[in-house]
Amino acid sequence: MSFGDFLLNNLRQFWELTGFANAEFGNFVMLAVGLFFIWLAIKKNFEPMLLVPIGFGILIGNVPFNTAAGLEIGIYEEGSVLNILYNGVSAGWYPPLIFLGIGAMTDFSALIANPKLMLIGAAAQFGIFGAYMVALLLGFTPDQAGAIAIIGGADGPTAIFLSSKLAPNLMGAIAVSAYSYMALVPVIQPPLMRLFTTKKERLIRMKPARAVSQNEKIIFPIVGMLLTCFVVPSGLPLLGMLFFGNLLRECGVTTRLAKTASNALTDIVTILLGLTVGASTQASQFLTPQTIFIFFLGFMAFIIASSSGVLFVKLFNLFLSKDKKINPLIGNAGVSAVPMSARISNNLGLEYDPSNYLLMHAMGPNVAGVIGSAVAAGVLLGFLV
Amino acid sequence: MKKLIIAAIALVAGAGLLSAQNRKAVRLNEVMVENTASIVDDYGEHHGWIELFNSNFGPVQITGMFLSNDSTRPMMYPVPLGDVNTVIAKRQHVVFFADGQPNKGTFHTNFVLTPGQDNWVGLYDADGTLVDQVVIPAALVTDQTFARDIDGEGRWAVRTGEGDNYITPSGANIIKDTNNRVKMFAEIDENGFGMTIMAMCIVFSALLLLCLCFYAIGAIGKYISRTNKIKSTGDDHKDREVRAATAHDSGEEIAAIVMALHEHFNAHDAENTILTINKVKRAYSPWSSKIYGLREVPAHTSNRR
Repeated sequence: MSFGDFLLNNLRQFWELTGFANAEFGNFVMLAVGLFFIWLAIKKNFEPMLLVPIGFGILIGNVPFNTAAGLEIGIYEEGSVLNILYNGVSAGWYPPLIFLGIGAMTDFSALIANPKLMLIGAAAQFGIFGAYMVALLLGFTPDQAGAIAIIGGADGPTAIFLSSKLAPNLMGAIAVSAYSYMALVPVIQPPLMRLFTTKKERLIRMKPARAVSQNEKIIFPIVGMLLTCFVVPSGLPLLGMLFFGNLLRECGVTTRLAKTASNALTDIVTILLGLTVGASTQASQFLTPQTIFIFFLGFMAFIIASSSGVLFVKLFNLFLSKDKKINPLIGNAGVSAVPMSARISNNLGLEYDPSNYLLMHAMGPNVAGVIGSAVAAGVLLGFLV
Repeated sequence: MKKLIIAAIALVAGAGLLSAQNRKAVRLNEVMVENTASIVDDYGEHHGWIELFNSNFGPVQITGMFLSNDSTRPMMYPVPLGDVNTVIAKRQHVVFFADGQPNKGTFHTNFVLTPGQDNWVGLYDADGTLVDQVVIPAALVTDQTFARDIDGEGRWAVRTGEGDNYITPSGANIIKDTNNRVKMFAEIDENGFGMTIMAMCIVFSALLLLCLCFYAIGAIGKYISRTNKIKSTGDDHKDREVRAATAHDSGEEIAAIVMALHEHFNAHDAENTILTINKVKRAYSPWSSKIYGLREVPAHTSNRR
């Protein structure tokens, strides 16, 4: 072999390894999706903590390369760095860690002061099961339908956890769909809230919540964990960590642990979770007709969940005395999406009455939604695994 | 000392639980007394065999456990130390050849099973506790096994090896190719109404339970604080109790009262106005150097100005 041939052969081999030689149309579509997510996060400020890592993850996951070369770089190649990081998603241990952080961040006072708001969180879970029925209608199997329907819980970690158990092959699409719709909550929910409420209902003023003692705040995570997990033991990984995180926060003697769980740990896991979920959307795995159905079902689930929360409050009001009526604008907060959906309740309330602050009231169903979606995930897991 | 005792008790209890969850859940799963056509050992020979099943959802180390065919001598064959294969993976099986030749390796027992008579087989933990036992009936003929119908938990029955009556050394006694629960939901609840009704009932029950519980806890808390309030004022008069019961102490009212007092007294906190500046000396390190460090993180600015 001449020296010229030697150079040419090596350069040709190198070319075959580059992204340009291995690129397919699907890669460019997904790269565009990734860029769109990053644009949404930076320009529109839609859930930037989630959409920036996911968007960049999509870029990472869709840089084309020669999969036959055995470079061990792809997320689905065992032993690659991305594959090792992805283990937290595929084995389902990132979501409980996120729940630990959520527990350590969340003040459950609004819920403890007004426990009946928990029922709104339960009602909004109808979004999950409504979407389950539609998914079955579209031809998904019950386990796939359960995994997709959990998008209606508006709770990314729960969606990832459940889909990793019920339908691992759909997890990328489900996770991206769940986080996308969570980012679009400010767009999806307000029209529904206006549609299902009258002006008079939007002006309902709720009594300020009573002060909650520290003892009650300490008892809440302990009793909450025991009661919910006795009913649905399969929700233990999520609910156990959620309530544990909250106990760290409220007990007053583990401030350092609570700070770590709510700040550093949550940030680290959010980065890893977002990036690897994004990277798992390789065009070859992601661009399928099923993905379109999943996005459609996710949208349906969000609509049903938000609507059922608002409608449940209206129904509930029929049984409440005049001074205890609930403003139906907090019904949408029954879907998790903490604290975005509670903020939407507050903003919409202020739009109609500039002195009617609904934020603290909306936080009640909002955190009840987190518990409710974890319970619903536990139910699906218990029935279908 | 007291803390040490509590910690020791917790440790012992924990260890006991761990043990209970691991080795106590190993089960005798399938036994062949006379083998002429089933699996062969590493030497190419047929022997009767005993299959163990780890019913845990985690691996279990069986080193130091005992197998026996004589209930009066429970510690007949100890599973030897130092073999990595004595760790049974979750929900998996291992087979011991009952050939009376323990020098052939870890999975060869020092006893044999005798055809034509009842054979008792026992599995003991390292401390001599009986973990599982079975009596294989004398009627079991050559190349048949006596096996559980479900791994680790089902009833024992004879398996002939014909039709669906598989003989499965080192394998699951029921070969699953579908998730039965999913199949059942797909067949019986094809539109999802059943799942929706059941699941919504469970979600509502769980949160209703929590709701009722916290109404009760809130009521108890209110009662205790009211009692404490009455005690602290030294007045247990009925009127006072009624007033205390109807008193509102919402954040808004407290804020309004505090604001009014503040305005009335023009009160400010007395502040210490002495400013002390202490010199802080830090040893130079390139790791903490501002010169080499990153600059300020850029803040997001909107285009709309």
